[in-house]
Amino acid sequence: MANLTRRQLLRTGLAAGAMVTATQCARGTPNNPAPGPTVNTNQTKDVTLRFIGTGVSQINEIRQKAEEDLGFKLEMRALSTEENNQIAITQAGQYDVFDGEYFSLPLVVPSGNLQPVDVSRITAFDQIVPIFTTGQLYDGAKVNSSQGTAPHRVMFLTDQESTEFAPEPTNWATLIPFQYNADTLGYRPDLVGREITSWGELFNEEFRGKTSILDIPSIGIIDAAMVVEALGLMTFGDKGNMTREELDQITQILIEQKRAGQFRAFWKTFDESVNLMSSGEVVLQSMWSPAVTAVKAQGIECIYAPLQEGYRAWGGGIGLSRNLSGIELDAAYEYINWMLDGWVGAFLGRQGYYSAAPENAKKFMSQAEWDFWYEGKAATEDMIDPFGTKLESAGAVRDGGSFNDRMGNVVVWNSTMDEQTYLVQKWNEFVAA
Amino acid sequence: MGLKKRSPTFYILAAFFALFVLFMYGPMFAIFTLSLQGQNGALTFPVRSFGFYWIKSLFLQQQRIGDFGAAFQRSLLLGLIVMALTVLIGLMAGLGFRRRFTGSRIIFYLTISSLIVPSVLVSLGIGIAFSLLGIETNWYSSGLAGHLTWTLPFAFLIMIGVFNRFNLSYEEAARDLGASEWQAFKEIILPLIAPSLIGVALFGFTLSYDEFTRTSLISGGRNTLPLEIFGMTTNVTTPALYALGTVTTAFSFCIIGIAFAAFQFFSHRQQQ
Amino acid sequence: MLKSWKSVEPYLLVTPQTLVFLLFLVFPIATIFIVSFWEFTGYSMTPGFTLENYRNIFTSQVSLATYLNTFKFVGLVWFFTLIIGFPVAYFLAFYIDSLRWQIILFLVCTIPFWTSNIIRMISWIPFLGREGLLNKLLMGIGLTSQPIDIFLFSDFAVVLAMVHLYTLFMIVPIFNSLMRIDRNLIAAAEDTGASGFQVFKEVILPLSQPGIAIGSIFVVTLTMGEFVTVRLMSGGQAASVGYLIRNQIGSLQYPLAAANAIILLIVTLAIIFGILRTIDIRKEL
Repeated sequence: MANLTRRQLLRTGLAAGAMVTATQCARGTPNNPAPGPTVNTNQTKDVTLRFIGTGVSQINEIRQKAEEDLGFKLEMRALSTEENNQIAITQAGQYDVFDGEYFSLPLVVPSGNLQPVDVSRITAFDQIVPIFTTGQLYDGAKVNSSQGTAPHRVMFLTDQESTEFAPEPTNWATLIPFQYNADTLGYRPDLVGREITSWGELFNEEFRGKTSILDIPSIGIIDAAMVVEALGLMTFGDKGNMTREELDQITQILIEQKRAGQFRAFWKTFDESVNLMSSGEVVLQSMWSPAVTAVKAQGIECIYAPLQEGYRAWGGGIGLSRNLSGIELDAAYEYINWMLDGWVGAFLGRQGYYSAAPENAKKFMSQAEWDFWYEGKAATEDMIDPFGTKLESAGAVRDGGSFNDRMGNVVVWNSTMDEQTYLVQKWNEFVAA
Repeated sequence: MGLKKRSPTFYILAAFFALFVLFMYGPMFAIFTLSLQGQNGALTFPVRSFGFYWIKSLFLQQQRIGDFGAAFQRSLLLGLIVMALTVLIGLMAGLGFRRRFTGSRIIFYLTISSLIVPSVLVSLGIGIAFSLLGIETNWYSSGLAGHLTWTLPFAFLIMIGVFNRFNLSYEEAARDLGASEWQAFKEIILPLIAPSLIGVALFGFTLSYDEFTRTSLISGGRNTLPLEIFGMTTNVTTPALYALGTVTTAFSFCIIGIAFAAFQFFSHRQQQ
Repeated sequence: MLKSWKSVEPYLLVTPQTLVFLLFLVFPIATIFIVSFWEFTGYSMTPGFTLENYRNIFTSQVSLATYLNTFKFVGLVWFFTLIIGFPVAYFLAFYIDSLRWQIILFLVCTIPFWTSNIIRMISWIPFLGREGLLNKLLMGIGLTSQPIDIFLFSDFAVVLAMVHLYTLFMIVPIFNSLMRIDRNLIAAAEDTGASGFQVFKEVILPLSQPGIAIGSIFVVTLTMGEFVTVRLMSGGQAASVGYLIRNQIGSLQYPLAAANAIILLIVTLAIIFGILRTIDIRKEL
């Protein structure tokens, strides 16, 4: 394994070098002749790129590896989803690279703080899964007609100067995706004692005072919608774009549940959900994939339940600040290309995320890892998380099965709604109730 | 004194005091214990094994996210800047307030009001003001300003108390002997108030070092230590969090030790 | 020449401090006040004049409930810091004879204050949780068979943590007041045959009022705008004005947050003026 990694590392280095050369040559214009690759390396090595993002991917291991491979410095800030969007929109001077979620784009893009990404400079763009470009995964997949702010709806801008989303792929992207997942409820089988198969269980009295929901309006409301729909308490025209009346009604239900003591706590960052689960405060809650693996890494059983109603999904990518130019912009493109080259995909894959360019990630995963995480096959060896802790013993199967089974069954995405202001107001009422 | 020595009340109050101390320290010992665990340690009891793994991982930056070292250096530097400015500005204001002057009441209430305004208004206000003026917020600009609104009133109150008790005749005697204003200040006033200035400095430093609310919206792109710690409470799932608590507490103890020694030293000199 | 220098001197000396407060206290609060009348468009605010933000607050059931809940926290925290802080200060001031011990015990009380507030707060979590020390202990001695939930992520936990954090702000001013009481006064009262309780009620308590008032002002101010403790100790479930403002800032609703902040300021100042009307603290300053 160690040998393999080293060899792969070399290969990445070569590939990155070749890629840098290629992009530099391609970019040469009469006024601005393309500098040779060596010059470029010398230039960018003094660059420091400032990232903002959530704890999901603002990880020191990724930073160290990127600095090693690319030769320039990165500064990472792990924020809550809310702070991340807030800074992206209001503090343009504080970051060079925005590592954010697609659902935030209807708010971030109009602020004009991001510059569109030139797709032609992204080497592996054609390997990106179609969920992001056309929205179609495979024939008959539920995800093809999923609701909410699906990434492909906000992936492209009409042109370089525009802040208007394009319905069809263009050369100008808002974010370049690198990670995404299908989210669902997580639970502790030792404390729940039976199988959980429906979102509706979150409001089951059996778990009163032992459940949790995430306190991020654009995500929490969708989870809540999955629950009330499953219980038959409400139906929605479009869960991803609720009307005021629907928001009033669902907030009312949430407040009733809160007053009845259904929730133990709310969480804003996924690590909080880990602590709630591993300390036994909560036995059933909406969770993110790395939270489940983190609970398991502590030797505690945790199931990321495939539910009959389907999954709520999210997608994350890298956007470029309007302030970036010159060698710093070049460095940011180098980072994006490095990010899609596979090492990051494999690293995050071992936590249960999917890579935007899975074929590249596969190069950095063992066959057993690929089969377990993507193919839904039984593990042929122990599964180890990116931080070296054992997650699963040989023989285990991933909850929810293969990539196609999980992503194909996505019915709704995290959303920014037309009534976003009203949603936030109602959500704050729920939190304060 | 000693008028109620060893009465039953004494024992009741002593027991109450002991309980209070337990209340103050008990939970802290819980996290000290939990921070001294081996690699398999978790955030809750029972302690699984004893070791310094998490403390080490904090210094070697092995935790998954966050940069404790840089935040610590930043807070240290900010604390020292705030301390210096607080001593200087507070001392000046204290000297100015030795005599009443027109408008002194307004300035007095302005200063005190800074203590009474809920901290969230200070950070929200500075944050909005900076963004409307198009100035970037930063820990060393807007953050520093927020801290001064918190440390200066304390410094001011201490300095007023000091100068109220200060005997003006020393200074006058010095001037009668032909000392200049500056000489009188340097030779007479400064040595006499030196221990209080240490107190102000210490106060300024700690208030800044631990300030959270007034900094929370205006620290710019780089976190101070309390903000980093708060970030870690939501982003760290290992005892590294508690290790951070243990390490910062140990550091605070060192500061108290140093300050206490300095105080002793200056009081000693003053008595001579 | 000398005369005019003398009259200018104090103004020059207080200028830096005054500037700090004008620029970073008065001006920002004025800005908040102005912004509280601005309009809000999803992700940004636009200058204008609307009373909508205030109308929103005054007509919403939730903001009323939030203020009431904040008052509940303030009341409880004030009460507990007082009944804990007073005996502690009283003990230190009257029952410890040697100055040396007084200083040592006083330091013992203040040392936790030198540790990060957030660390002190989260240190309660492994103690109070469902699988925490306290529940383990209670179950171990058979007092309860099920872990008790309300220790953590509850109003109880919020009040407990705030009392833990802020009692010192009550102790110091009260201690200060008590130390200023002329011991001869107490001796005289005792000589005239007053009982211990009478001395306490007639002499000590009235004379310690300014200290209590200053401590109360600190505690009220600190608690009114609190959001970190509320967030961490209630598991994000409890309501307080500070937390509401924080959430509104988080969702970029600055004008609404500004309007709430202005109301918070007015309410806080009203409470403090109430305290000052009852008790004269000028002697202490």
